[in-house]
Amino acid sequence: MNKNYIILMSMLLVLAAGLLLLPEKNNPKQMNPEELMWDIVQPTRYVTTDDVAKSIIEQDPLLMLVDVRPESDFQDFALSGAINLPLEGFASDDTRAELDYPKKNIVFYSNDDLRADQAWVLAKRLGFNNVYVLRGGLNQWIKTIIQPVEPAQTASAEEFSLYTFRKGASLFFTGTKLSTTATTKESVVVTRKKKSSAVAGGC
Amino acid sequence: MGPLIPQGIIPMGWDFVIALLIGIAFGFILEASGFSSSRNITGVFYGYNFVVLRVFFTAVVVAMIGLQYFDYFGWLDLNQIYVLPTFLSPMIVGAVIMGVGFIIGGFCPGTSYTAIAIGKIDAMVFTGGLFLGIFLFSEFFPFFEQFYYSDNMGNITIGEFLGISNLMFTMIFTAIAVIAFYVTWLIEKRVRKNHEEYKF
Repeated sequence: MNKNYIILMSMLLVLAAGLLLLPEKNNPKQMNPEELMWDIVQPTRYVTTDDVAKSIIEQDPLLMLVDVRPESDFQDFALSGAINLPLEGFASDDTRAELDYPKKNIVFYSNDDLRADQAWVLAKRLGFNNVYVLRGGLNQWIKTIIQPVEPAQTASAEEFSLYTFRKGASLFFTGTKLSTTATTKESVVVTRKKKSSAVAGGC
Repeated sequence: MGPLIPQGIIPMGWDFVIALLIGIAFGFILEASGFSSSRNITGVFYGYNFVVLRVFFTAVVVAMIGLQYFDYFGWLDLNQIYVLPTFLSPMIVGAVIMGVGFIIGGFCPGTSYTAIAIGKIDAMVFTGGLFLGIFLFSEFFPFFEQFYYSDNMGNITIGEFLGISNLMFTMIFTAIAVIAFYVTWLIEKRVRKNHEEYKF
């Protein structure tokens, strides 16, 4: 047999064996860019502050709030039950472990929705499908839930019921006492009728 | 980045142009490997010439190993490659018919055209028979249809069928190819009387 063929055959064998020895491929499954683009333009990836407030009040076990702001901001103020995963170093293995609850609805929030959106894209690329963004972030939270604005008198009934809900939610989250309108207690004066005739003696 | 056409790197309309270029290259390699000669092709059956087996085993093994490395380096996403569905028993019957045709006719469909290109009259007759066969098959297709689509195993690879990784199968297949090269060389050495005249 020709020497060249022996060399070529051994090269093939070495290359084939090399395939088995290759270290585990380290590019995790990524989302197709087209699918990602499609998901990005879907409005369903946003949840409103009202939805989140309702879930917190009802103690929805499927809700998982993730604060993507820096830790110092998280210490100052955070939504109840939220965990802190700052956007810096978001794509680490720790994050993947923290978010690995396929059944939960994971809601990202930051001060507005810019950083939360970034976290959303990263999480989506990491393969999490159950992720959402709190629309408007904490600014919107303050505007709608903590300090709701009373709608105009001409507003629709839905707006008023939403306002009532927000007012109640505000009480729930801020813990202020219900400021009922001070009813002036008037002491009731009991006026008794004077008896018209004195008791007459019996017989 | 690959596969190029499904990823949109090469527009869809170019696939026929690329098919034509690949076809020309394929025909050239067939002719250059001596496949236009019926003796080379039937030699596999009679045991005096295994060049067909060597060329195809080499092509398959090089492509297998190459594609696995391409996938590893991220140049090609093997998951996006279309895997033809397997219809086991119709394929076995088809392979037997094809094999018998090889021995009787001395050409496979591809090599009959390269043989026509170098002016072989038997290849022209063979191609006439090939078209007659295609015509008859199409006309009588309703009779075979049920069998033709039977035994569908879906788009599986041999690795998936055997439950081993595709990398492992590549290694096993390469080993089989190398063993086949050696064994056929031994057979040729015994069958051929003028062995020293051949290069391999």
